[in-house]
Amino acid sequence: MVMAGISREGLRMTPFDTRHLIGDLVVTLDVDVLAGAYPDRDLPPDPAPVVLARHGVAAAATAGLRAALFDMVSGNDEVLASAPGNWVAVVPVGSLDLRDPLGAVREMERLAALGVRGVRLFPDEQGVEADFPSVRHVARRAAVLGLTVLTGGDVRRFWRPFTGLGLRVVFLDTHFYHLGDFLVAAADEPGFHTSTRLLNSPDALETAVGEIGPERLLFGSRSPYYEPLVPLLRLATGGLKPDETALVAGGNARRLLLGEPA
Amino acid sequence: MIIDVHAHQGPWFFTMDVAALTVAAMDRYGIDLAVVSGTEAVIYDASAGNRSLAAFLGSGAPGSERLYGYVTVNPRRLAAAERDLDAYLPTGRFVGAKIHTDYTGSPIGSPWMREALTLVAAAGVPALVHTWGTSVLDLARVCRDIPGLRVIAGHMGADGYRHAVEAARTCDRLYLEPCWSHFPAGRIAEVAAAVDPGRLLFGTDSTLIDPASAFGSVAAAGLTGDAADRLAWRNAADLFRLPIG
Repeated sequence: MVMAGISREGLRMTPFDTRHLIGDLVVTLDVDVLAGAYPDRDLPPDPAPVVLARHGVAAAATAGLRAALFDMVSGNDEVLASAPGNWVAVVPVGSLDLRDPLGAVREMERLAALGVRGVRLFPDEQGVEADFPSVRHVARRAAVLGLTVLTGGDVRRFWRPFTGLGLRVVFLDTHFYHLGDFLVAAADEPGFHTSTRLLNSPDALETAVGEIGPERLLFGSRSPYYEPLVPLLRLATGGLKPDETALVAGGNARRLLLGEPA
Repeated sequence: MIIDVHAHQGPWFFTMDVAALTVAAMDRYGIDLAVVSGTEAVIYDASAGNRSLAAFLGSGAPGSERLYGYVTVNPRRLAAAERDLDAYLPTGRFVGAKIHTDYTGSPIGSPWMREALTLVAAAGVPALVHTWGTSVLDLARVCRDIPGLRVIAGHMGADGYRHAVEAARTCDRLYLEPCWSHFPAGRIAEVAAAVDPGRLLFGTDSTLIDPASAFGSVAAAGLTGDAADRLAWRNAADLFRLPIG
């Protein structure tokens, strides 16, 4: 029998059995989840809720691609409508369009009034570079509103527009090649955090925790466009202590995006 | 049983301290054997790095008996490469050749790469060649031109994995190995569904990349039975003629 791409036989019998490796690790909030579709890419094999349920991910900080690529208001409303009630399984994150900095600020203010605590930037998808005025403009306003910014882009360039504002930022594309740059930037900016998605060298998580502490790392999968098994395995098999793992697996994200106590 | 056909021994220049983690990283994921290249050989000085790797493999260090070596070939240093192949392959601890395109400034279509691959073919061992994007198609073309050459397309083209499918279809001596620090959903399943299961290998790029990336990507593909075993180790054991039951 096939369960959305993974056979039961496969879970038990193959050399690539992951259950014993992941053990009882539960992600309580994945900071990097997308709804909607990229018109220039194939559709993912399954939508995010299906993928995340398969891996026991309890909640998803979800941003919409419709808002990022076409229309902020209707796109963000789409995500909000998918998360009725008390935002248990889906934690809405507002997508902003940096190609329209005035509209992006209006949208941030609208979302903040609705209780949304995080906004997401898509500079690569929108062709926006780190030194464009729109990035700094949005960063300043996010700091005033007390929002957490989740941002894509090369951290070696996108660290700069977020400095000196007391802003909480989660860099979603930090690759382990660039870990050193992130760490030296984060040392001066207590609000700088990173997703673990691409910190998949044998010691990146451990190095980052040693340098800036476990409070600055957040599990991110980019479901459904990336395989969540990879960051799950990396976190589960790494050298972090259980309390550190719990922070990375969602404790930190819940603090930033739901206001839960540290 | 799992055999990793794309692994490394030695330090890297990034913010990482993994020189001693080759075997530890294997143990995290139950990887039994690995074919490794010396990082110094890949990045800077092939001969010096091959010498260091040979010393490590012969050192008796814990776990070193689970490692086989690649003789790294710099296509711009062919005389040295020939000496290294002659010196290390007869030891039995080296079972293939590794060629990186970028670090050596050697596009797969370049004349000096063709000479290097001809040299490796004459040595009778497989060559692991770094491929990215469309370069995997160039590798298939060169492989077809060189009698007896067996090549592993390292990273199976990375974001060019659909080109890797085409490459494998056009050359029956070309094998695919999936490692990449990125892990798009469905990449492995798509390739596995389209390529002869006898041509798929498991590789991680450890210790540059944690085995989680390749292991998780392959696990997500849900391969079972013979297809999973072939990818995990049988194809590698046959290709490198390893003494495994």
